[in-house]
Amino acid sequence: MRISSITLTLATTSLFLFTACGQKVPEAPIDPNIRPVITDPNAFTDTPVMVNEGMDANTTSSGSEVITQGGRSIDTSRFNSSGNGFRSIYFPFGGYGISPQMQARVNQDAAIVRSLSSGRVKVEGNCDEFGTDEYNYALGLKRAKSVKDHIVAQGADPRRMVIVSFGESNPVCSTPTDACYSQNRRVDLRLVR
Amino acid sequence: MRYLWFVLLWGYTALWAVDATLKIEKDVEQRSRIALIDGSALGNQTFFHILLSDFKISGHFLVDKIHHQGTFSSNYLLPLFQSREYVLKYTFSQEQGSHLGIRLLRVRDNKEVFHKSYTIPSRGKYPFLAHKAVSDINHFLHYQPIDWINRYVVFSRYTTPRKSEIVLADYTMTYQRVLIRGGLNLFPQWADKKQTSLYYTSYNEMLPTLYLLNIYNGRKEKVLSSEGMLVCSDVSADGSKLLLTMAPEGQADIYEWNRYTHQKRRLTHFHGIDVNGKYLAGEQQFIFVSNRLGSANIFKKALGGAGVSKAVYHGRNNNACDTYGNEIVYISRESNHAFKSNLFNLYYTTLSGAETKPLTSTGNNQFPRFSMDGSVVQFIKRRGASSSIGYINLKSHQSLLFPLSGKKIQSIDW
Repeated sequence: MRISSITLTLATTSLFLFTACGQKVPEAPIDPNIRPVITDPNAFTDTPVMVNEGMDANTTSSGSEVITQGGRSIDTSRFNSSGNGFRSIYFPFGGYGISPQMQARVNQDAAIVRSLSSGRVKVEGNCDEFGTDEYNYALGLKRAKSVKDHIVAQGADPRRMVIVSFGESNPVCSTPTDACYSQNRRVDLRLVR
Repeated sequence: MRYLWFVLLWGYTALWAVDATLKIEKDVEQRSRIALIDGSALGNQTFFHILLSDFKISGHFLVDKIHHQGTFSSNYLLPLFQSREYVLKYTFSQEQGSHLGIRLLRVRDNKEVFHKSYTIPSRGKYPFLAHKAVSDINHFLHYQPIDWINRYVVFSRYTTPRKSEIVLADYTMTYQRVLIRGGLNLFPQWADKKQTSLYYTSYNEMLPTLYLLNIYNGRKEKVLSSEGMLVCSDVSADGSKLLLTMAPEGQADIYEWNRYTHQKRRLTHFHGIDVNGKYLAGEQQFIFVSNRLGSANIFKKALGGAGVSKAVYHGRNNNACDTYGNEIVYISRESNHAFKSNLFNLYYTTLSGAETKPLTSTGNNQFPRFSMDGSVVQFIKRRGASSSIGYINLKSHQSLLFPLSGKKIQSIDW
């Protein structure tokens, strides 16, 4: 029994020594004396010009209630940031498949698209802010395509829909919480002329 | 006797547990010790700190952090400077533009070895005077060039939902000037080494559209549009070819676009996510981020070939990268918890995988970018509610952080 105790102690000590060693990278302190300055564009000849794009993208209306994913029941009735009678579709973290809870919304959106006699529908994919932006734009696009494919599978004309990803550029909320992130992982639909 | 064996076994294990890696760092004694003496009529702390940062990040100097003041024209040096190798005397003013005069004195004989003066009509661009002076001193002393400190940084930042700005800055972010305002304009990417033009993606029309903007005359040229998404992630060394992330069929893949023939060729064919293409040395291969193995990782492929192989074997989720020659810097996710304090770290590796090492260990670190000469890595660090732009000198391991105020950065190029 004494031998077992010694063995256990030695093993624990050795394990501690193994895990205690690690590379530490020195971190530089933030220099408080350097402040970014927005300059006046009074220019000499090689000063870059400013381009005023002037066009604003469409604004969205945000919903008022959080929807969570991952097995929990979802109250979809009061949450929507789409326009023109469409209902937004929500996604789990990193996912782009249509969950069973969202199928009713997809069916409803498909019915609206089928009923259109003119105009097109913009299917906008969105993400939360976790991760890098270019990857998130592609993830948003996968979500938009997934919704479009489901709507087309229900008989809608694919030429009536155009998909675009806004990545993390179009949040409906900005607090870093699970509840807010789940609101931003969505596809919005709206009519465009 | 058995106890003795246990003690010996424990001692052996303990020794083996010590990190026996011998790492040879650049010897601090090889850096030139330098002090700065401000001879300006009105001392300027911000300008002093810019000079300090420039000397420090060069990796060639050990710079005295005290803001000394003294006579610009005199060669006399107080005894306290005798431990230095050089003293830089400077005078900075902002009457009718910005003016900088410098004199580099060698301490051992109080002799002036270099002098120069700089003048620009702009008051706002004064940080570039400091950068130019330090890079000229560096060149005069025959150290490895640090011309990257003279370059513009261009970045996009979100202002409100679906709105952004594209901004020009110096590497310390002291100088900032908004280039493009209005609507949603993202993913700026320099089009040429001289930084006269840049590509960016506009979301102000029905489809994402790539534009080429000359930043000096404002001339804007439409390059192409694509349904879904459109990002210019890299430009060839001669500026003739672009690596694009496009989704003409709703599927994000990497394409190569020839600016002059307007021919595009699809480089990846995967039903998931392929983004962030970067040329490797010789521009016959490229690396990119893909989720083809279930989570984001870095892969490589020959431009004319079919086979795809992993470029990075460390990490379980690597979702951004940049290249210089066959060197790679990438972001690796360290935690599954979305709100942990250290979520993403920078790592450096080579195409052969011979040397993989972390470059950061705290905060959330993203947007890795090599300098034009590959000697420094730029990145954005977020700690809590604050963010900063960071630089790591890969040879000297010097690092700097400059605070960023205002809105969230979306994309950056250097």
